[in-house]
Amino acid sequence: MTAPIDNTASTTALVGTRRLLPRLAGHGGVSWRRWRYPFTRRTPLLIETGYNPTTLATERRIVNPAPILWLIALAAIAVAPPVFGNSSFISAATTFALYAAINVIWMLTIGTAGIFSLASLATVGVGAFGAAYLSVYWGFPWWAMWMVGPVFGLIFGVLIAIPAIRLEGFYYALLTVGITELCRVYVIQSQKLGAAAYGLFGADGFVPKDMAERPGLIMGFYASFVVLLLALALYRAIDGQRLGRLLRAAPEKHEAFAEALGINYRAARIQVFLISSAALGGVGGFYATLLHGASPSLFTMDQLMLLLAMIVIGGIGRTEGAVLGTLIVVLFDKVFIGLGPARLVLIAGIMLATVLFTRGGLFGIPAQYRAWRGKRQTERRGQRSGKGGEVMPDEAMEIADKQSIVARRFDARVRAELKALITDALIEEHRTSANKRRSDALERVLTYFRRAAVADKYAVLAVKPFAEYRIVALSGRRGVPPRVVDDQVFTTPEAALHGVFLKRVSDLRDST
Amino acid sequence: MTDVLRIEDLSAGYGPLGVLHSVGLTVRAGERVGIIGLNGHGKSTLLKAIAGLTGWQSGSIKLNGIEIGGTRSQGPGRYTHKIVRMGLALMPQGDALFHGLTVADHLDSGAYTRRAWRERKQRREHVLAIFPPLEKLLGQPVGKLSGGERRMVSLARGLMDDAKLLLIDEPSLGLAPKISKGLIEALMRIDIKDGAMVIAEQNLSLLEGKVSRLIGLHAGKLKGGAVAPDMPLSETTHHHH
Amino acid sequence: MDPYYLALTTINLAAIYGLLALGISIIWSSLGMINMAQGFTFAVSGYGAWLVAQHISTNGLAVVAGGVITGALAGALIGGIAFIPLYDKPNFPLRSLIATLAISLMGGQCLLWIFTPRVKALPKIFGIGNVHFGPVVASYDKIGSIVCSAILLLVTLAWMKSSRRGLEIRAMMQNPEGAALVGVGLRSTAMAVMMVTGAMAGLAAVLLSQNYFISPTAGVTPLVKGMVVALAGGLGSVAGALIAAILIGFIEAVTAVGLGGQYVLITQFLFIIAVLLVRPRGIAGMIEHTRE
Repeated sequence: MTAPIDNTASTTALVGTRRLLPRLAGHGGVSWRRWRYPFTRRTPLLIETGYNPTTLATERRIVNPAPILWLIALAAIAVAPPVFGNSSFISAATTFALYAAINVIWMLTIGTAGIFSLASLATVGVGAFGAAYLSVYWGFPWWAMWMVGPVFGLIFGVLIAIPAIRLEGFYYALLTVGITELCRVYVIQSQKLGAAAYGLFGADGFVPKDMAERPGLIMGFYASFVVLLLALALYRAIDGQRLGRLLRAAPEKHEAFAEALGINYRAARIQVFLISSAALGGVGGFYATLLHGASPSLFTMDQLMLLLAMIVIGGIGRTEGAVLGTLIVVLFDKVFIGLGPARLVLIAGIMLATVLFTRGGLFGIPAQYRAWRGKRQTERRGQRSGKGGEVMPDEAMEIADKQSIVARRFDARVRAELKALITDALIEEHRTSANKRRSDALERVLTYFRRAAVADKYAVLAVKPFAEYRIVALSGRRGVPPRVVDDQVFTTPEAALHGVFLKRVSDLRDST
Repeated sequence: MTDVLRIEDLSAGYGPLGVLHSVGLTVRAGERVGIIGLNGHGKSTLLKAIAGLTGWQSGSIKLNGIEIGGTRSQGPGRYTHKIVRMGLALMPQGDALFHGLTVADHLDSGAYTRRAWRERKQRREHVLAIFPPLEKLLGQPVGKLSGGERRMVSLARGLMDDAKLLLIDEPSLGLAPKISKGLIEALMRIDIKDGAMVIAEQNLSLLEGKVSRLIGLHAGKLKGGAVAPDMPLSETTHHHH
Repeated sequence: MDPYYLALTTINLAAIYGLLALGISIIWSSLGMINMAQGFTFAVSGYGAWLVAQHISTNGLAVVAGGVITGALAGALIGGIAFIPLYDKPNFPLRSLIATLAISLMGGQCLLWIFTPRVKALPKIFGIGNVHFGPVVASYDKIGSIVCSAILLLVTLAWMKSSRRGLEIRAMMQNPEGAALVGVGLRSTAMAVMMVTGAMAGLAAVLLSQNYFISPTAGVTPLVKGMVVALAGGLGSVAGALIAAILIGFIEAVTAVGLGGQYVLITQFLFIIAVLLVRPRGIAGMIEHTRE
């Protein structure tokens, strides 16, 4: 007897997973679809209308609630600091907004363009120092500093893009770390860039000088918040549009496929890289007008690591990850400032824990959980070996009628059971009990034999009735006569039938 | 007579793919077993499962009576080195050679126990006697050798230590028929003493009449002869020497 | 420009850069991990040596041993945190890179916390004075550090070449699965690699601290330099790293003498970028078969 198939496991296994979405009463899909963001074809919310299968009432569901969540989060960020916070909280919020903007733009380089550049903060620094330099020595006003920032960023971007064409992955990452260090050494050694004063300060600021402290801080915060919004819009405009789509078709190590489709992914990468460099330079120019200058701390390794911690904690490759990661890091870095050096240790600890335990940061946890569950499920399915063994998995894919696989598997089980029944006594019983009542075991074996397909089925041919019988095999095709199997000759039909039985038994024993 | 390898109810696969289904196999000391099966029916997976290199596996695998199988669903290769040190030598399909290292380095790397490392000079001579063409290539980096020579290096590397169980995955793959015949002859010349050898092959004619037993592997299940016959094996193996 | 002085400085710098770059290069090729915490190992070894000098003995050997042992321990710590739990997980190279960065940040801050930002100085372990070889005048410092690092480099190379462990490491550099099949334990070998490279960084820390101070951030510049030297040499190539160390040491010596110290990094970088533009896999990246 073979073990019965474990049915309990297969009934509890889910086939696919349902997505749980909140359903609202009433329709509205059409009107929502009619609304567009200005100048685009994007609908603000993707709403599906349908009928409840049981009540048949119309209902709608939000397919992707991300825009709503974004709106709530951004509104909270915009309102909370000026309303609830003291001045140090507001300046921390300003830092947050600024770093979140930098991270979102950086994500364009790392995520969309796939260039693992660690020189993002250096680009900001170049924009900031350039703008501050022009303001301090050439007297540029704040609005002009905003304009020259992107220019510096772009120039720097072009310079560091040259090696990016040839180098790949980590080679480029390491090189950009080196370039950042080079910038730091240059800045702290250069007299003109404020080596003595530890930074180049005294640049023009956009906050009017006669403004009181708190309103000034609030103005700075809102300006930074607008920069964050612009960064998000830029991300959306690049990652969600043509360039982003092109690059999504050319993920790492699969570039050749995209190239075969005629996608010039290199040009697209460099384009995205340059755009984000210019944007980072712009953030740098803004930074200089906010702080009235620039400090070489922008180029330090520790600052770079904090920035990396931000995007790693949230999850590389997603804007919400960048913003949340920035929020967490800035919270620890600026709000818990009383902890001293311990707070940086704490941040590094969070970063380490994230990278050790998660695959894609905090926002990657749901996907990681699903992948883990899926892996466990599929492995369990694979381990239920009672179901396999008849056809190889790749062979099974080519068999259109899956029932035939089930039938084969069933047949194998039946054969295994019947093999155990066949004994010498059973064969002897068949020989002697031609027209008598048979035992249960013999009846089972005979039933299986009778069920066989007609093609190649054994039969008895009466060559001379009551004198000469031979065993033949049916052809299974109309008009094609049966063929004689061997030269055995039987004198009675009973003996011939027993001969057929013996043949079938030996076939059964040989089968697997 | 002891069982070098005893597999019971072994299932193994990669992710959702179940490749082996409740396989049972016993290999006795002094046996050379050939496993014959078509591409994709689980020959390599069987050998990999013994070395702990599959994605997941369950069931019992005993090497000289010590359990090396068990149920696991992650970390392919995590315990391979320990299994290897217990006396297993796997010559895998892709050769798994170190392209920048010389042939001599490869042979030395096969001598993983302390004793073998001390005696590596003598052992090298011994192995070179089985694969004479390697003698001239000792200083060559393996990346520059031909396919047949590489296969020889891979086999020779597995012979440097006193492995109890030699698992050889498709020795003839990608080689000219003449060369693969020579390789099989060389394999048959190896003195396995109280160990055993399992050769997985697609080509039945290469092994026919040369090994103690031939076992078919179809769709992840062994067909015929999976358990060692009860007669003394010396009779079936000795006339090949 | 005195050619002998130039040669001596070049050799001195090349020896130290070689120690730093070789560690990064070996770790990358055998473990597939970029160890950004090598700077932390460097800083912590300096403190280890300083503690030995402060509390146990100012004997040169004791100080060097203190640095080397601390370095090896720091290497083992990094291996235990960043390699062992991650090496068979998806996206390992990036995750281990970030993990080592986190260790570096954490370790630097811990050092800052424990030892305060005040810099420390090691005793002059080679003594003070000059040696004259004909026209060449060399300080004990330079001779000592050249000899020490040359010895360590040679010992490491010989060990890699002829010992069982060294063979295991070389085998793992080429093919980790094949290495497992000849009984190489990935994890124990990885820990050995981390400890040896940590010891190298420790020695480099002691040697460099003869001329520079020990501080919590002292590791950054050596890390960056070691990294770019390893890059220029071709990650994973021992010979390439040594050639690059000599070239970059030479450039540093020439720039410092000819243009002034502040231009050193710039000329080095221009050189490295030029090298990488011509050969994206570094000087030796094309010659040797290294890990992808």
